[in-house]
Amino acid sequence: MASGTKSKGSNKPRGKSNSANKARRSVVGTARKPKPWGMIMGVIVIVALAGGVFTYAFTQINEKEKWVVAEDNKDPSENISGVVRKTYPAGQHVESTQRVNYNYSPPFGGPHDGVWADCNGTVYPKAVRTENMVHALEHGSVWIAYNPDKIKGKALNTLKAKVEGQPYMLMSPYPGLDKPISLQSWGHQLKVTDVGDARIDEFIKSLRENQYQNPEPGGRCDSQDTGFDVSNPPPFVAEKPDPKDPNTVSMNGKGAKDASAEEQSGTSPTTSATTPPASDASTPPATSSSTPPSQ
Amino acid sequence: MTSTRGPSSRTWVLAAAALAVLLVGAAAGMLITTARDASDAAPGADSVDVGFAQDMRMHHLQAVTMAGIERDRTSDLTLQGLAFDIESTQLSQSSEMAGWLTVWVQPSLPAPGAGHMAWMSEGGTHSHSNGEGGSTTGSVQIMPGMATTQELAQLRKLSGQELDVYFLQLMLRHHEGGLEMAQYAAEHASKGYVRNLADKIVKSQESESKQMKEMLAKRGAKPLPAS
Repeated sequence: MASGTKSKGSNKPRGKSNSANKARRSVVGTARKPKPWGMIMGVIVIVALAGGVFTYAFTQINEKEKWVVAEDNKDPSENISGVVRKTYPAGQHVESTQRVNYNYSPPFGGPHDGVWADCNGTVYPKAVRTENMVHALEHGSVWIAYNPDKIKGKALNTLKAKVEGQPYMLMSPYPGLDKPISLQSWGHQLKVTDVGDARIDEFIKSLRENQYQNPEPGGRCDSQDTGFDVSNPPPFVAEKPDPKDPNTVSMNGKGAKDASAEEQSGTSPTTSATTPPASDASTPPATSSSTPPSQ
Repeated sequence: MTSTRGPSSRTWVLAAAALAVLLVGAAAGMLITTARDASDAAPGADSVDVGFAQDMRMHHLQAVTMAGIERDRTSDLTLQGLAFDIESTQLSQSSEMAGWLTVWVQPSLPAPGAGHMAWMSEGGTHSHSNGEGGSTTGSVQIMPGMATTQELAQLRKLSGQELDVYFLQLMLRHHEGGLEMAQYAAEHASKGYVRNLADKIVKSQESESKQMKEMLAKRGAKPLPAS
């Protein structure tokens, strides 16, 4: 009642002309009436308010979910500028005596050593053999490589703080790196110049243990029982491998290993690994299948 | 009388507009909620998702056992590393599957004696291997690739090169036996995260199988026939 009177009072002038229109319309039928500005403004305000609330809610939810890996957000790193992406087949292993002729430096996928570098928040003081680092990426870890000539002191400590004690993180110097810092996850790379770059944390949030981007979900980071010694890891080799060297494996996985496998089943069974099972064991395997391969 | 009709009709229009906006907003909200509810619904006991999670979990756990034996007893560093890798990865994956089953309110393993792989039959139109060299559209008692109790006992008895060869033979057969289930789930499971894990299992185990074949050849041994 009170509000009714109020609106009546406040709209009095227009109300009058309106009622005049109405009166005229009742006579003429289709008479024009002045624009009902109050109503239009009211509707606009309400719609704008509703739109504002919706937009606010939408952007808030979006910002929150932007970095959350989900079925409809399999690669949150798509929100980060400057990330290089490549698709690599998983599980191509090489021996500790072999080297992979990687086409990126540092590499972020491709054939790798059968043994992974320990990636349980491991900060390596010295550069580590790249073939082992790439296997750690396959298990879902993020590798922070830095140029030891550019990143020192406080900057180095900032990076260390992102890795120490963090599962599925590892960090090592990478001599000759073309940018101060390079982040690697399987199939993803981001190079940045400044430790304060917000994209570093965004990269880690998007890709560490990302079950959609990493080929081996559940892969382990501890390296005991693998032959990889965290306190004395195999050293980094700066020179690119010679593609003609028999111990060089190319990016497609073809290389020394396949060749040597052919050798073994083919013409020159020279390596010691081809010795047939020892015959002095008390119990032979349950089946007769430990016979040498037919040639 | 006419002087009150103008403002009151405007009030009505404003109220109607406000109501319309509220309704549209509420409708949008409900649509979003509905969409979320539909995608959050737990798969049922007869679904591909549940069947795969239970069967693959059981299959994985035997691989964990076999890899653990090899990791403890081998003296070959490469094989120790491979066994540790298989053991860790498959234990972690089987725990992930147990997590799904908990959330879906389903048993974490298939019921004893209930058989396996019936979820792969697409209502009886799709046949799968029966674990004995043939094929069936129904359930099977032993999943392909599973080692028998005697085979496991045999593995525990061996040492040196013989242990390595027999481990490779059993694990290769195990990997290849589980492939069919993973391939089916990668295509037919209703949950994207289930299809994703199944697909990752297919790809990583295929490359591991290739590697184990090479390792067997290197040791002058052949794979076991499929089970």
